Amino acid sequence: MQDRPDAAELAQAVREFIETEVLPGIDDPRLRFRTLVAANGLGILEREIALGAPLVRREVGSLARLLGRTESIPDDVDELRRRAADLNRELAQRIRAGDAPEGTLAHLVATVADKLRVASPRYLERYR
Amino acid sequence: MSVGAPPLSASTLSGELRERLVPIFGADIAIEQLALLAGGASKEAWALDLRTPQGTRQLLVRRAGGGVIHQGTLTLEDEHRLLEVASAAGVRVPKPYGYLGEIAGRPAFVSERVPGETIGRRIVQRPELAGARAALPAQMAEELAKIHAIPADRVPFLGGVGARDVLSRLTTEVDHLGDAHPAIELGLDWAKRCAPSQSETVVLHGDLRVGNLAVTASGLGHVLDWEFGHRGDPAEDVAWPLVRAWRFGVDQLRLGGIGDVEPYLERYNALTGRHITLASLDYWEIVGNLKWAIGALTQSRRHLSGQQRSVELAVLGRLAAEMEFELLHLLERAA
Repeated sequence: MQDRPDAAELAQAVREFIETEVLPGIDDPRLRFRTLVAANGLGILEREIALGAPLVRREVGSLARLLGRTESIPDDVDELRRRAADLNRELAQRIRAGDAPEGTLAHLVATVADKLRVASPRYLERYR
Repeated sequence: MSVGAPPLSASTLSGELRERLVPIFGADIAIEQLALLAGGASKEAWALDLRTPQGTRQLLVRRAGGGVIHQGTLTLEDEHRLLEVASAAGVRVPKPYGYLGEIAGRPAFVSERVPGETIGRRIVQRPELAGARAALPAQMAEELAKIHAIPADRVPFLGGVGARDVLSRLTTEVDHLGDAHPAIELGLDWAKRCAPSQSETVVLHGDLRVGNLAVTASGLGHVLDWEFGHRGDPAEDVAWPLVRAWRFGVDQLRLGGIGDVEPYLERYNALTGRHITLASLDYWEIVGNLKWAIGALTQSRRHLSGQQRSVELAVLGRLAAEMEFELLHLLERAA
């Protein structure tokens, strides 16, 4: 077991350093933009550490229902990610073959919204 | 920036650059200033102040960067040729001065450096540009009308891309990503079923939107960034500035965050005698979101493969979900 700060706290510390100490001293607009992008990348990482596991579990559950899979859903997060990748490949192939399961659009809206909860939560608010 | 080739310093570039400028501007010239400008994911843009016997000229040197966003991007030489043809056709473009060949190993051309705001977020927000925003919809329609009237035989290097070809190219790009993207597949499947039977193929700018225009207080100054020029359905170009990513946060104004679509479309149809419908724009807006979602994912692969390590490209891979969400939102509406 690692000592604190944990992974999310460490990412947050680096992001806060960039935002409060690095950014104010940057005049070059190109470097400034990329520094903002870097801070945003750390924000994505913080949210993924907090939300990643429950969201991928929800995605695998939804994919399994959509594709009529009955096998049990794994507990291990790496196992869940592999399962999500496999099921997404199967869904993508069925859509391309013109055989999208009933409920595909609703499943994708919910799943992509979950991606945005990590990648860009403020963007998601623009649809309310 | 690419790991293998860090950005060139101005001093490294200037010697070779000056030599190439002599045939265009004469031997009595001196580089007063040369600085790399912001923006441009796949191309460098250098602001160049050149002293000539007639006075100092404000120029722009466009030079190849690390890679391309889409397959089918024009070479710098062809982009320069397209600028020349567009300029002769009366399109408001920065005056092209010449293709320079390779400078420090990468192709480049030189053009006039034009004034005006190019940052999309500022164009849709700044109070002092309110008058420009009112003028832009009609002006964008006018420039598109002129571009679409360019005789195709003047630009034989432009690839012809029908509605179905656009979709097969996008499918190929998805296949190169290496993982599955069901939301994009659903959009491609919809687009294949709804693709228009094409009536007409014209010269297209390929990327005309807020963010690729130099905007002054009176509106559209110049049309920039011609690297995606190709031939295709005129509605593809007319719909592109509607894509939500190009509204820069002002989502309720469907035309680029600056105006409503109807007056813009009416002006375009009146100038061209075409009858592009709102339904046709709906189709091409969905395809536009597909294009940009796949473009963002493809850019992130340039980082992941090591072709061009960049935090900006890395984060774009995650932001593709924004375009996927908009795509699904539009598919729900179209259903």
